[in-house]
Amino acid sequence: MIAPKHILGTFDEVLASLRNNVLMMAGLTERSLERAMKGLFNRDDNLCANAIADDEEIDQLEIQIDRDGVAILLRFQPVASDLRRVVAAMKLSSNLERMADQATTIARRARKLNQHPPLPEVDLIRPMYEHAMSMLRDSVDAFVREDVDLGRAVVARDETLDELNRSASRKLIERMAQDPDQLRGYLNLIFIGRALERVGDHATNIAEDAVYAAAAEDIRHQTLAASA
Amino acid sequence: MTTPERTVMEDVDQPAEPPPADESAPACTFRVKNLSIWYGEKRAIDNVTLDIVSNAVSAIIGPSGCGKSTFIRALNRMHELVPKTRVEGTVLLHGEDLYSNDVDPAIVRRRVGMVFQKSNPFPTMSIGENVIVGLRLNGVRDRKFLNERLEKSLRMAALWDEVKDDLHKPGTSLSGGQQQRLCIARALAVEPEVLLMDEPCSALDPIATAKIEELIYELKAKYTIVTVTHNMQQAGRISDYTAFFYLGRLIEFGPTTKIFTNPSERQTEDYITGRFG
Repeated sequence: MIAPKHILGTFDEVLASLRNNVLMMAGLTERSLERAMKGLFNRDDNLCANAIADDEEIDQLEIQIDRDGVAILLRFQPVASDLRRVVAAMKLSSNLERMADQATTIARRARKLNQHPPLPEVDLIRPMYEHAMSMLRDSVDAFVREDVDLGRAVVARDETLDELNRSASRKLIERMAQDPDQLRGYLNLIFIGRALERVGDHATNIAEDAVYAAAAEDIRHQTLAASA
Repeated sequence: MTTPERTVMEDVDQPAEPPPADESAPACTFRVKNLSIWYGEKRAIDNVTLDIVSNAVSAIIGPSGCGKSTFIRALNRMHELVPKTRVEGTVLLHGEDLYSNDVDPAIVRRRVGMVFQKSNPFPTMSIGENVIVGLRLNGVRDRKFLNERLEKSLRMAALWDEVKDDLHKPGTSLSGGQQQRLCIARALAVEPEVLLMDEPCSALDPIATAKIEELIYELKAKYTIVTVTHNMQQAGRISDYTAFFYLGRLIEFGPTTKIFTNPSERQTEDYITGRFG
């Protein structure tokens, strides 16, 4: 639904600018994760270095979005859907920045793995990567399109990612017992799996914020609240 | 097995079951039902139904000419001062119809006090006289009683400490913010049940505004307050409930946090976010 124009043209402009910066940050975060993971799968140290370098730009965007968000709150004191969009944008940027930190972690671990002969167990990580990336893309889409159903669906998908991570970790621990010489390599893969699991957690947060921005509904921690 | 026959009269004689009382529902000072007000041919209020919750602040918001001021003036029949006014519907104050033929508008205005946009202390009266003028007009002569009520009202209006040594000075010698609090003290002196405020801070600086807002917050423990404001942020700060009026109609009424984070009506959203028209 397209909102009518604000009586202050500058308000629409700053809101659009905030949203564009969030989209740019989401795009860079996605690219950074892709580079880190391709650096692992293709054993390409350059891609790993690029992923690590991306982090600086993403950090700067986080600062910019926070600064712009505070300025909008101060200058325009938005309410209703405008307030929710600004608050959600600021929370999104924080989650995207942490995802980018996970990309850096993955790239560093991948570089260490690339120094040794390839491990076929890298394939255990691939389904997690695909699942986490689809969660990231869909959570940002849910925010952009204000799609409540998509946001809820992303939240529900986190459990699958957690299970994939548990399963991969189990198998890698078994391999560590069988082949202690590769212990460091398996450990690095476990850490990469954990980083992807955290990416899923941040995508879940973004999806929850997308639902709040679109429908003013707080769907966080519903399992705990329901059992309390 | 046969069922005993029931006569028609037995059914008729059964006392009607009272509706179950909703104990969670807040007590209401005003119950306004299907209220319409005309100034001559112009319909200023169009079929408004609204309950004003007791000991809470209700803010009325809406663009100029939407009927906000007419609505709160209808709560103490002050709109009748405009010629060719016509009213339909009911306004119940604690269950009593304010528009019943046997109700004296002067009594209504004593029970329902009003503070206006522009502070209006009587220019020929001292600060002290301004506060107790309502009591004097009602025939109160007891000096001790008047002095007690004077101090009590000024204290409730958070003005006592600033004027206690200057009670003999003209009311107009005070600053704008103090004059507005003097008007609040004057409204409180007759011990009304409700306080209506029509943009009480629109002519005040931020510090004076903050004092009035703090006062409104304190006064709601004892009074039901209905305030008109053009300031969305002020409505968000001081009110418990918000009503949005447009073209004389009540578009939405609900808890202020709900109205300002997730209004149900598109027109409310467009107005409060500044996207109206």
